[in-house]
Amino acid sequence: MITYVRIELLRLIRNRRVTIFSMLLPAMLLLVIGGANEHQQFGGVSAAAYVMMSMAVYGAMTAAIGSGGSIAVERGLGWNRQLRLTPLCPGRYVLTKFLLSLVMALPPVAVTFAVGALALDIRLPASVWAASLVAAWLSAIPFATLGIVVGYLAKPDSVQQVSGLLFMALAIFGGLWIPVEVMPHVVRFIAEYTPAYWAGRVARAPLTDGSVSLHAVVVLAAWTAVLALVARRRFRADTARA
Amino acid sequence: MTTMTHPRSAAAPAVAGAAEAIRLTGLTKRYGTVTAVDGLDLTVRCGEVVALLGPNGAGKSTTIEALLGLARPDAGAVNVYGLPPRQAVAAGRIGALLQSGGLLPDLTVRETVALAASLYPRHRDVTEVLARARVAEFAKRRIGALSGGQRQRVRFAMALVADPDLIVLDEPTTGLDVEARRAFWVAMREETGRGRTVLFATHYLDEADAYADRVVFMRAGRVVADGTATQVKAMVSGRIIRATLPDADPAALATLPGVDRVEVRTGTVLLTCRDSDAALRGLLLATPARDVEVTARGLEDAFITLTGGETER
Repeated sequence: MITYVRIELLRLIRNRRVTIFSMLLPAMLLLVIGGANEHQQFGGVSAAAYVMMSMAVYGAMTAAIGSGGSIAVERGLGWNRQLRLTPLCPGRYVLTKFLLSLVMALPPVAVTFAVGALALDIRLPASVWAASLVAAWLSAIPFATLGIVVGYLAKPDSVQQVSGLLFMALAIFGGLWIPVEVMPHVVRFIAEYTPAYWAGRVARAPLTDGSVSLHAVVVLAAWTAVLALVARRRFRADTARA
Repeated sequence: MTTMTHPRSAAAPAVAGAAEAIRLTGLTKRYGTVTAVDGLDLTVRCGEVVALLGPNGAGKSTTIEALLGLARPDAGAVNVYGLPPRQAVAAGRIGALLQSGGLLPDLTVRETVALAASLYPRHRDVTEVLARARVAEFAKRRIGALSGGQRQRVRFAMALVADPDLIVLDEPTTGLDVEARRAFWVAMREETGRGRTVLFATHYLDEADAYADRVVFMRAGRVVADGTATQVKAMVSGRIIRATLPDADPAALATLPGVDRVEVRTGTVLLTCRDSDAALRGLLLATPARDVEVTARGLEDAFITLTGGETER
């Protein structure tokens, strides 16, 4: 299992195009959107810092979903079948992918924060930096689970499009690109049901009131639980077929 | 307990006290309305090299999938060293090579084999396996850059890495050129020389003939013949006796023991025999036949007769 994780990490470094892309987009959006509102205040906090937290969640989300999507590609290659000829139990494979998704979610958060601090001159207390980093990172858990669902549902040639659509929908309805507060009422209504919105709330909590609401945790946990059930069903069906 | 009974050992060479590697009992697998494997019984003893031969759709791959635990049988039982397939796989007792796919193009050969090795509690030295499977010279290259034959040897290395007792190969040389096929079997032979049990599916008759101790012919999900290549050939189409015999009487020749069919050409007779020994004794006693030749019909003939429908008679 350790060798497997090590080789998977090696693959990530080798296929760095994907990794870099997942870090670049949120950083760029931060420069554009955050830069444009650099000296504004939004909801009582620096608008740039607000955007930075949203973009960190966006980056973590895309990286986590994209990483799980690699399952679809590996299924297409017959790699899962090959693994079933070894003692590796399929559940371990999924667990490895889940952990990798979480690993993948960290660099975009770090890069976004670095860009915010260096390019936009965002100044926050160290405790807020640290708490936001952990919050933005861990709020990727439901998205790592979603990535596994995508990995077992999508076909290898459609996984890119499916993931792309998901990123966009979650970013818009979760208010990660544009705060839902300035969006039409319908969007705000839908946002309340998306994991992306609550992930954003969790990541911004250290910045705003400093406490993570129970509501946010419940919604994110519920999403994770439901997605895990769906993933398990799909995984079982796939394993029975293989 | 040294005595064992083998329910279907009629054609296979009897090895006293040899333990069973594989036992399939009444194996049935359906896909929708198609019955891929239809009540298959097959026992393979330790150390046997068995070829599973048959045309496309005979049920070879499905049998192998059931054997490896990749397909769940609709009926019947699968035992590998007395274990259910998944357990035998988990214990590292089965090494398998599937027809295609199953490799990550962005990994190097060495990484792939090392990864496979790491999944087993007990495995062989990776460097040694790379040499054994003859992939050492391109161990640092990525899978994506390899030829079909090279990839197949990488799969073979993965199958060997756990030091399995049973090696299962599903059409290992399909799509390879003659040279790659030869190289594959050379590597294979070195490995199987030391008492491993091997089951391989193939539709190359010469491979079954050259590499298997025992040939199991499948057709429409059933075993239609089972024995050594020689036995199977004799069982199906027997041997042909060719002799010089002027003024032969076809009717009289047809009454000789062991003769199935008589063909008379000018000065020459051709006897298709199910028991060529008996026919030969009768022929030489009853007639002045000379220049006698006995030839086995090729495995190719046997294959066509057995699997191609009732073409003969």
